[in-house]
Amino acid sequence: MLKMILKRIFQLIPVLLITMSITFVITRVLPGNPAVSILGPQASAEDIEKMEEEMGLHDPLPVQYVHYIGGLLTGDLGTSYRYHRPVAGLILEKLPNTLQLAMTSLVIALLIGVPVGILSAVKQYSIFDYVAMITALVGVSMPTFWLGLMLVLVFSVNLGWFPTMGMATLADGFGAVVSHLFLPALCLSFGSMANFARISRSSMLEVVNQDYMKAVRAKGIRESVVIMKHGFKNALPPIVTVLGMRIASLMTGAIMIETIFSWPGIGRLIVEAINNNDFELIQGAVLFMAVLYVGVNLIVDIAYLYINPKVSYESERRAG
Amino acid sequence: MKRRLFAVALALSMVVGLVAGCGGKEKEETKKEPEKQEEVDTSNVSDEDKFGGTLTIALASIASNIDPIMYTGVYEGQIIENIADTLIVYDNAVTDFEPSLATEWTANEAGDEYTFTLRDDVYFQPGKYQEGRKMTAEDVKYSLERSHNESALARLTMLDHCEVIDDTHVKCVLESPNASFLAALTNSGNVIVPKEEVEGWGDEFGAHLVGTGPFMMAENGWKTDQGVDLVKFDKFWGGDIYLDGLNFVYITEVNQRVNALKNGEVDIAYDLTGEGIEEIKADSNLKMIQEAGMGVNYIYFNMANGPTADIKVREALQTAVDREAMVSALYQYGEGQVGYLALPPNSWGYDESLIDIVPKYDVEKAKKLLAEAGYADGFELEYYTGDSATSKKIGEIFQQFCAQIGVTVNIHQAAWGTFSEIGASGNADVISMSWTWYPDPYFYLNKMFHEESLGTLGNGQQFNIPEVNELLDEAVAVSDQNERAELYKQALKLITEQYAQIDYSVANVNVGMSSKVMDFPVRPDKTIEVADGVTNNTWLAK
Repeated sequence: MLKMILKRIFQLIPVLLITMSITFVITRVLPGNPAVSILGPQASAEDIEKMEEEMGLHDPLPVQYVHYIGGLLTGDLGTSYRYHRPVAGLILEKLPNTLQLAMTSLVIALLIGVPVGILSAVKQYSIFDYVAMITALVGVSMPTFWLGLMLVLVFSVNLGWFPTMGMATLADGFGAVVSHLFLPALCLSFGSMANFARISRSSMLEVVNQDYMKAVRAKGIRESVVIMKHGFKNALPPIVTVLGMRIASLMTGAIMIETIFSWPGIGRLIVEAINNNDFELIQGAVLFMAVLYVGVNLIVDIAYLYINPKVSYESERRAG
Repeated sequence: MKRRLFAVALALSMVVGLVAGCGGKEKEETKKEPEKQEEVDTSNVSDEDKFGGTLTIALASIASNIDPIMYTGVYEGQIIENIADTLIVYDNAVTDFEPSLATEWTANEAGDEYTFTLRDDVYFQPGKYQEGRKMTAEDVKYSLERSHNESALARLTMLDHCEVIDDTHVKCVLESPNASFLAALTNSGNVIVPKEEVEGWGDEFGAHLVGTGPFMMAENGWKTDQGVDLVKFDKFWGGDIYLDGLNFVYITEVNQRVNALKNGEVDIAYDLTGEGIEEIKADSNLKMIQEAGMGVNYIYFNMANGPTADIKVREALQTAVDREAMVSALYQYGEGQVGYLALPPNSWGYDESLIDIVPKYDVEKAKKLLAEAGYADGFELEYYTGDSATSKKIGEIFQQFCAQIGVTVNIHQAAWGTFSEIGASGNADVISMSWTWYPDPYFYLNKMFHEESLGTLGNGQQFNIPEVNELLDEAVAVSDQNERAELYKQALKLITEQYAQIDYSVANVNVGMSSKVMDFPVRPDKTIEVADGVTNNTWLAK
């Protein structure tokens, strides 16, 4: 098993290398001059020249690439031109904020989505099932941007229950943390919630109608135990797969939410970096997101082995 | 039962969202007539009652660095000027200079040496590397020379060096006579800062700015991406100011700035556009201020290449555009007003009489002009602009007008960095953009119409008329403002006669604020002078 995990880790190296190189090339090849973006309209030709020199843009592309890779190998993600600060520092500073938002959303989505999905499966074709699944369908297809603005309009502006933007720290009090977190987290969780509900329902449906469930029921065990212990446990693997995918997409999905709610996370950092052609920051942040994405997927794969021993990567390989 | 309840609740919350969307629209329709803003009577408020409170201002962009030599955006300057001071400042109308750290200034006959008398009671805010010592002429020399040598935007290029005469007198020697020096001194990039802090913090000075202004950075006040918290500086030379603190927050989405204002989370919101302006006008707890700004919006034509190199073609294009119709279509909420010239009306070089030279809207005449130029069958133009929705709208309106005279306009939108590269290269037929700077005409006319600016975005149209170059050179070398104004008016006349650009509007400064905010000056140049020790001292009604 350890050998397999190590192998999976080694497989990630080319993925990351390709991601990194593509980002590097795209930021360089796309039209647009970062020095101009940063300096603004009133910059003179000399100002721009000076800035380009400082940014190392006069070096040939391969030289810049080697510099970049060299930096990465020593753990240096570069320096943001706009903030005049190390990229790694900026990302690490923003990471907890994005994690706070993404994890809260995940918890909300799980706590609501999974039970709704199970109930829908158990009560298949009931009113509950219809309402829940239609809602989930709407939830999956609703643009977050619109939803965010609506939530703010109703709950912040009209009702005055929550602040419209920003983030609070524990220094502002626990209440402030929760009230600032609530709307963006809810908004971000909607898509995932719907996703969990749908996958839990279909996965459960497959399980509840199987023969062994009938056998368990025949033993006279309480229905809730039948559902949770015997049913849900076997319905879990697809949910875990979705969970892994959702963690990564919640992190990236936070980009939109962070912009709407002025949430100081990595998403907002990336949007600003793109707006300003802040090369090093874009590269660093994209690479970081890529590492996160493949990292989470790796963990999911490993977790899979434990919850569902039927899955064996060896057999998968042979079959493929 | 519980499960059903939950399902109903979930469905209900969806419906509420949908209804809220529709409800909002209905409300706007019934509130079309904005109520007149009534000024609150504050005559019976005692001076003591004005003290206290923290003012929160929402800015539309994220300030990334407020080191005076590194900053590049207007919004960053808006923060800097509350922490640190320049030698002189513009008054609230942005027409005359007022003393700040310097009480007096004189120029020599030649106009290449300026001597400043400094206030004797100015202290720096305490920081990590000094405890709030007195400011002297040495600091002025240090700060101005630092700006001259290191400023990312070359904010003090005309300076050669500074000489300390004594603690309260400093002489600035320019490379050549340059009357725009005083205007440049008012820029937040030229604030006076203590050497110890600059050198102590190094690259991090941009997050730990120390100056002599009314507010100082709070402990951990710099919050990357979120905002800056400032607190009152007790030893401010301008006396006891009313506010205890001043916070800036960054809200990049315009609807969210309106929401935060309506919700009371911010007291003032800058750069408002769209329907939100109506909402604020309709809210009795808020006031909306829309004053003519310093920004001119224009569409400029390539004078070196393509069909627009012909002056007849340029005149035809100008004649084909109805500026009034364009502006009313663009700014449905009063975000801007019709403009005609390359200078904003509140610049002292502006000359209203020149509007007569600007071609009047006349489609038939435009067609005739085109035919005379040999383009009776029209031609195609490549039009470049930024990637905002407004930029696109401007392009489409222009496209419609041009279509009337048989000219096809192909719109290309690009992000700022790309757009400005194309513009500066002189390869675009038509460029649409805006320009804003100090009220001194030098910062408009020299940057847009002088030979020296070729190769920059300012003069992407390749404007190069020897007479104009001469007039502009002369105007900046003279130190008498009346004489300069006369020269700039002559230059502006020649420029307007070239039909080089359609100056269609002047942007307004659109600021929404809580009706509790008192004596806050909304300035045409968008600077934020909450308290300056001379005229402004903003306070919050309880």
